Amino acid sequence: MKSKSELTDFYYKTLFPTLSKLEEKRKHLLYRIFVVGVLLSLVFIILSSFLLQKPDFIVFAIFVYIAIGSFLYKLLVKDYTLEFKQNIIKPLIETISQELSYNCHHHINEHLFKRSDLFAKPDRISGNDYVSGIVKGTKIEFSDIHAEARHKDSKNKESWSTLFRGLFIVAEFNKNFNSKTLVLPDSAQSTFGNLIGGWLQSNNFARDELVRMDDNEFEREFVVYSKDQIEARYILSHSLMKKLLGLKKKSKHPLYVSFVGNHIHIAIDYKKDLFEPSIFYSLLDYNIAMEYVGTLHLALGIIDELKLNEKIWSKL
Amino acid sequence: MSLSLLIFVVILVILVLMYNSLVSKKNQVENIFASVDATLKKRYDLIPNIVASVKEYLQHEKELLSEITKLRAQANKPNISDEQKIALDAKVSSALGSIMVAVEAYPELKANENIMHLQATLNEIEEQLSAARRAFNQAVTDYNNAIEMVPTNFMASAMAYKRKEVFSIVEQERKYIDVKKLFN
Repeated sequence: MKSKSELTDFYYKTLFPTLSKLEEKRKHLLYRIFVVGVLLSLVFIILSSFLLQKPDFIVFAIFVYIAIGSFLYKLLVKDYTLEFKQNIIKPLIETISQELSYNCHHHINEHLFKRSDLFAKPDRISGNDYVSGIVKGTKIEFSDIHAEARHKDSKNKESWSTLFRGLFIVAEFNKNFNSKTLVLPDSAQSTFGNLIGGWLQSNNFARDELVRMDDNEFEREFVVYSKDQIEARYILSHSLMKKLLGLKKKSKHPLYVSFVGNHIHIAIDYKKDLFEPSIFYSLLDYNIAMEYVGTLHLALGIIDELKLNEKIWSKL
Repeated sequence: MSLSLLIFVVILVILVLMYNSLVSKKNQVENIFASVDATLKKRYDLIPNIVASVKEYLQHEKELLSEITKLRAQANKPNISDEQKIALDAKVSSALGSIMVAVEAYPELKANENIMHLQATLNEIEEQLSAARRAFNQAVTDYNNAIEMVPTNFMASAMAYKRKEVFSIVEQERKYIDVKKLFN
C-alpha cells in the first residue's frame, strides 16, 4: 500500500493536469455563484421592500431566500463535484490498491451502521463516497455517513438532529469472537474525573457491562462496554489498545469503535461531508490536498495501522 | 419516632447494599477463574496432539516432551487447588514455549500443515488465556479494593473475606515471549 508521501506525490504530479483543468472550472464556478448570489439577493431586497408593512412575512421571506439559495448552490456545484470525484478521488483510490472500487453516490449499508450499535437508532441515513474492496488480503469498506434522528416537539413540528456525520469504516477482524464490544470516547472521566466518572459509566443502563482496561492512557481516552469481560480483553490486546490510541491521535476527531459479527466498525466524527471539492480555496492548496490524501490514507491504512492482516490465530 | 425509624431503614438498606456488593465481587472472581480454568483445559487438551506431531523430529528434546506430558497428567488430576493450577500454568507456558522454539529450527517441521494449524490454535488459546488472566486480575483487584476500602472493609472483616492473589506473570513466561521474537 502506498505511503502518504507517495500519495501526495501522485496528487501533485500525476494528477496535476486534471487539477489545473478543475481549478479553471472552480474559478468559473466561483464567479457564477457570486453572480447568482448577487441577483438572488437583489430580487429579495426588491420583493421584501413591498412586504415591509407585514413584518411576519420578512421571516418567511428570509427562510425562502435561504432555501432557494441552497437549492441553486447545489445545482451549480453538482457537475463540478462529480467531475472532481471521478477524476481526482477515484484515481487516488485506485492508486492505493487495484482491488478497490469507488462509487460516489452509494454509502455503506444501513444495517452495518445500525448493527455497530455505536449511536442511537437513526431515523434517516444518507451518505456518499463508497469505497470497497481488499487491502493486503483483508476486506474493507467505508463511506461518508450522515445519520439523523427525528424529533417531534409539542406542536408536532418535525425537527432533525445529527447523530453522526463523518467517516464510517467496516473491515474484517482477524480474531473470532461471539459477543459485542464497544469502545467509545470517554467523556465522563475527562469531565468529572476518575471517581465520579467511573461511577457514572458503570451505571449506564443503556449499555452493557463496563470493562475496565489495564492500560491507563487507553482508559483515560476511551470507555469500553461488553457482554463478555474476557472476550473484550481478547479483542483489545495491549498492542491493539496502543494502536487505537495512535489512530485517535492521527485522526484528530472523536473515534468510536465497535466489534460485532467478526468485523470491526470504526466511526470518526468529522462533523462534515468528506471528499467534497473545495470551492472557495484552491485545489492545489497544501492543506486542502492533505484533507483528501490524508483522510484516504487514514481510512485504508487502518488495515496496516491495526495489523488486521496479521492472521496468526485460527481465523486464517 | 418516625425520623429514627427512617434513619434505621436507611442504614439497613446501606448495609444490605454493601453486603450484596461484596458477595457479587467475590462471585465475579470465582466466575472468571472458572473461565480461566476452561481455557487452561483447552490448552492441556492440545498437548497430546502437539507431542505426537513433533515426536519423530525432536529426538533431542525427549525430556522436554516427557516433562510436558507429565505436567498435563498433573493438571488433569481431579482435586487440585487454585494455587496449584496457577503454578502449573506457568510451568506449562514455559515448556510449550521451549517446544515451539525448537520447532522453529526444523524447516520441514515448521512447514508441516498440521504443525501450522496447531501453532495457530495454540496462539489463539494463549491469547484467550492472556485475556482471561487479565479479566481475572481486574476482578481480584475490584474485590481486594472493596475488602480494604472504607466503609466496606468493616463488613468484609465481619464476613471473614480474605484478600485474593492476582495472576502474576512469571519471569519464565516473559522469557518465552522474548525468545519467540528473536526467532521471528
